[in-house]
Parts: sequence; structure tokens; C-alpha cells
Amino acid sequence: MSEPVHHHADVAVASSAIPATEAYLRIEHLRKEYDGVVAVDDVDFDIRKGEIFALLGGSGCGKSTLLRCMAGFETPTKGRVLLDGEDITAVPPYERPVNMMFQSYALFPHMSVEQNIAFGLKQDGLGKAQIEARVAEMLKLVQMEKFAKRKPHQLSGGQQQRVALARSLAKNPKLLLLDEPMGALDKKLRSRMQLELVDIIERLGVTCVMVTHDQEEAMTMAHRIAVMDTGWIRQIGTPDEIYEQPNCRFTAEFIGSVNIFDGVIRDDHPNYVTIASPAVEHALYVGHGITCFEGQQVALAVRPEKIVVSKEEPAQAHNKARGTIEDIAYFGSHSVYHVRLPSGVRVMANFANTQRWASERYTWNDTVWLSWADNDGVVLTS
Amino acid sequence: MNGRLGRALRRLAPGRRWFVIAPPYVWMLIFFAIPFLIVLQISFAKPIIASPPYTDLFTRVGNELNLTLNLNNYWALLENSKYAGAYLSSLKIAAISTLLCLLIGYPIAYAISRLSPSVRNIALMLVILPSWTSFLIRIYAWIGLLKDNGLINNFLQWVGVIDEPIRVLYTPVAIYIGIVYAYLPFMVLPLYANLVKHDQRLLEAAYDLGAGPLTAFFRITVPLSFAGIVAGCMLVFIPAVGEFVIPELLGGPSTKMIGKVLWEEYFTANDWPRASAIAIVMLVLLIVPIMIFHRYQSRQLEARLS
Repeated sequence: MSEPVHHHADVAVASSAIPATEAYLRIEHLRKEYDGVVAVDDVDFDIRKGEIFALLGGSGCGKSTLLRCMAGFETPTKGRVLLDGEDITAVPPYERPVNMMFQSYALFPHMSVEQNIAFGLKQDGLGKAQIEARVAEMLKLVQMEKFAKRKPHQLSGGQQQRVALARSLAKNPKLLLLDEPMGALDKKLRSRMQLELVDIIERLGVTCVMVTHDQEEAMTMAHRIAVMDTGWIRQIGTPDEIYEQPNCRFTAEFIGSVNIFDGVIRDDHPNYVTIASPAVEHALYVGHGITCFEGQQVALAVRPEKIVVSKEEPAQAHNKARGTIEDIAYFGSHSVYHVRLPSGVRVMANFANTQRWASERYTWNDTVWLSWADNDGVVLTS
Repeated sequence: MNGRLGRALRRLAPGRRWFVIAPPYVWMLIFFAIPFLIVLQISFAKPIIASPPYTDLFTRVGNELNLTLNLNNYWALLENSKYAGAYLSSLKIAAISTLLCLLIGYPIAYAISRLSPSVRNIALMLVILPSWTSFLIRIYAWIGLLKDNGLINNFLQWVGVIDEPIRVLYTPVAIYIGIVYAYLPFMVLPLYANLVKHDQRLLEAAYDLGAGPLTAFFRITVPLSFAGIVAGCMLVFIPAVGEFVIPELLGGPSTKMIGKVLWEEYFTANDWPRASAIAIVMLVLLIVPIMIFHRYQSRQLEARLS
């Protein structure tokens, strides 16, 4: 992996939502191989106390393997896992102060809701009264008091998830792991449970690592996100850092949609950079300096919602292009215009439908101008 | 057969689903219900020296049809301690054998269910394969293994572990060995079918919540395999109670099992009514566990469907 590119000088790295700054969970140069096939490759990062941290990536990117190393179900080939200053790499799962909410929950089918929640507490050898009190507390936390005697198969998906959460929180773990927490829920329920889950986790202040392939879920729930690809971590950052300042082509393309203009650096000034791209007639202009050299191959990434669509030619000299509308995708809240430039490149531009009939302003085969501001593009060198 | 003719024929036929449902019922009627009624009828008859060697229940004198039920056969079962002893000994031997089968069969089934799918099938074949040879031959083979100058005793003496042969053949121990050996696959297969379906993540969830491997096994795996345990135990226990060949070949004269007593009544004493009564009582005794088995199975099925 190459050095990340610094785009905006004024962006603070830490988010205000993160309480502490020192490492609570430390993943140290972790590597996991299965029969010579590398699943996780030299992953190294810290998580702070009380943080909700998401491992985001497609299937086979190593995110689940990494989570299983934290839970203790897998032993890393190399590297260490440190939790609260203690090396837990070799500690078996049943002795770790770590609890996991499994994908599709893995509730014990022969036990009632209460018995499921009490299971972990019984292993600690707590007294009957203590267990009952804690189970009641947990049931209240997830609002499942009425369902204490039910068996898992008598519950809906959302209710099962609440029980699974209560079970994984009952032992007051130092680290909570969520494996695709919303994977088994339908879309409507998902967005409601995402906020509720975050609310509960933040209220208890438990440190949490979640695995997901759903970028919206990661962006909604997590304080910080690690974007993973083929066993590597491509980028770690807050949701808006990941979205607005991707450090590589992979992250830019993986999160949301993006237009990428390939080109070479023409002017490399301390305060601005221009890029010549065969895709666009006019020069591309970036309103801040970057670490690069003239003639270097780069790419400029511009999000569709940063692009302004207009009938008249914009006044600015850079960052504009003319084309014809080939496709219109109507999403209700906004429309996405697919505009073909004379160079043959297709560009996506969002148009917010803030007025009821506004989307009718442009139609197929219209010639329109696309433009964006000096700091709306991100230069990618890898 | 399209069109009008087909429709007309279909209307004439008594519903096609009867062709599917009827065969098992006809089978049960011919090969179970009717023979059972015949045996029941014989059990209320008197033995006579004739062919067949029992009296008719119905006799006609003029226009009177008389039904004579002889309850002596059942009374004798109660009165003569020989029968009660044989029943009890059969139930005891079957119960202990079932327990032994469970203790040996569970680890086997568990181990097979944890193998990789390709190796798993080979292991299953090894369990099933012996039953492809004759049951009698396999039980005879145990005589060769167990007798005083048999393979096992000779080997142990050759190694020097024992000086004198251990007497196993024609003792109750030999019966247990024979039954456990013969019925082990009937324990292993239903247990395996159950265990192989277990969701491994449930065990991981148990570990995650602080249960060690042993606790997880007894709190998660064993309760979830209960249906398999019940099925396996019934499949061993029920036939073991009426087992005849194994006690006859491997057991000594002192061990009376009800199957052997029944054989003697039929073929040695030629007392068909007595033998029939023994069979009926054995059936009644076995109906209880069979009903427990079925009730449990249907409850499981209902739980799965809901």
C-alpha cells in the first residue's frame, strides 16, 4: 500500500463522537493463513474505548476472519490481539472478556429467551438471584420483558436480534463483536434497528467491533470504518473521511458512486494542481497542493452529488464539461443523470428534486453543462 | 390421455391420491393386522394334539354359536414365575444393552458427524458394511472369538496377560457383547443423522459465552440430539427385548430371555396358545416405549413445522 494522499489541510482526524484517545483494543500486525492462502494480511490498527468500529468489505475480504481472531475462534498465524493492555491472542474464546452477536444470532433453540440470556451468567457461577436480576435488567434494556418465556422459534427476526444482543451484553464484555448485525432483517426494520442498536451500545459505553458488507450500515452505526480488500485494510477513517477523502481508487469506488477521470499532473503548485485528462476538454483544477510531481499519472474522483447540471455554460474556466443526457435514473428524492461527454466518457451527476416538477427541466438527449467546485474532486495516486 | 375421455376416466377413478395412500395401509393390514388377530385368537384357545394344535374359539351346537375364551394361558404367565423372570430378564438385558450401545454409539456418531464430508461417507460405510453379511454368521463368529480356546483367549494367553482362559461364552456377558455388537448400527445411524445437522455456530456461541468444550457438549449438543437418542434407544431396545438368536447361540442355559422361552413353547412344548399369549404380553409391554417414541417424534415434528 502506498502513502495516503493529503487532500485537505484543515480536516481534523479525530471525530468528536469518540470519547477516549488511547488504544483499548490493539490488533498488531495480524496475519491469518488457511493452508497457505492468506485471509488477513498484516493488519495493524487500534480501537479506542467506547468506540464503534466497523470492518467493511465484500465477501472474502478477510473481515470475518479478523472478527473471529478477536473472538478467539481463530488463532492468528502471526501477530497479536491486545485488549485493555492484555495479550489475548492465545486465550480460548470461553476465557475472553469478549462476547459476540452472531450472524443470524445462533440462539439456543432448546432454551427460552431467559435461559439464553442467563447461559453466559451461569458459566460465571453467579448465584440464582444475581442471574435473575441481571436477566431482568437485560430484558428491560432490549424491551423484551414480555417474551421471557418464549422459545427463539416463536419470535420474529427483530425480536431474535434483541435477545441475541441482550445475551451478548449480559456478561458486560470489554469488547462486543457484531457479525453482520442486520443481515437477517428486512430493509425497513434494518434502518430502525441500526439506530436502536447504536443507542444501546453507546448508552452502555461498550467498545464494539462490527463486520458488515453494507456501507450504509457501517456509515450509520460506526464511529470509524476500516475498508478491507483481499485481506488488507485500505483505509481507516470516520464515515465522512472515508466518503469525502478516499485514499485510493478502491475505497472511492467501493463507497457510494463516483466519477473517476484519469489524467496526468500538468501544473504542480504549492496552492493548486491542474490535471490534463483526455476525458475532459478543459483542464481539471484542484484548489490545494498535493504531494506529486508534474507528469505523474493520477485520477480525479468526483462524487455525482458534487456535480452541478446546468443549461448555460458556467463562468468558471476549469472543472466543466459539456455532454448529452443518455440515461436518467429517478430515485424520488433525487435523479441521477448519465451524461456522455464528447470523449466518450460517461459521467454521473445527481440532481436533487427539491421542487416537484424540477426533474422535468432536463430530459433525454438534452445538451447540458456539468461543473464542480475547485475542492470537490479528490486526487487519487493509487 | 387428453380431452374428454381423460376427464371422464379421471372422474370415474376414486381420486388418484388413493393410489399413493393405499399401499402402506394394505400392507399393514395383510402383514400386520391380520397376523396379529390370528395370534390373539390362538392365545385364547386350548392346546390339543391335532393339526393345527389348538381349539377353535367358535363352536356351533345346533343353532347356538359359542365363543370360548380360555384365559388359562394368561393366568399361567402370572402364576408361573418362570415367565415373569424371563420377561424381567429380557427387559433388563435389553435396557443394559441399550445403555451400552448409547455410551459406545454416541462418541462414534459424534466423531463421524465431525469428519469432512468425503471421509464421513467412508466412515458411515464401515458402520453399515458388516450388516451386509448374514446376521447368523456374524453371531457364530463371536463364538469363535469368545470361546475358551478362541481367538481372544488364545491371544491373551500368548501375550501372557492371563494364565487360564476367561470364561465368557455361554455367560450373560456374551449376550451383552452380542446384542451391543449386533445393534450398534441402529444406535449410531439415527444419532449421526441428528448430530450432522447441528449448527456449529451454536457451539461457538456457547464457547463465546464462557462455556468450556465439556459444558457446551452437555448443555447444547446433548439436549439438541435428544430426538436422536430416543430414536436410537428405541431401535435397539425394542428388538433386543424379543431377541432369540443371540441368547440361544452365545448365552448359557441359565439366562432365560423371553424370546427363547417363546421358542421353547412353540417348538419344544408345541403349546401354541401359551406361546401366543407370551407374544401378546410382550407386545403390550413394548407398546409403552413405542408410544413414548412416537409421541416424542410427532412433538418434534410439530415444533419444527410451527
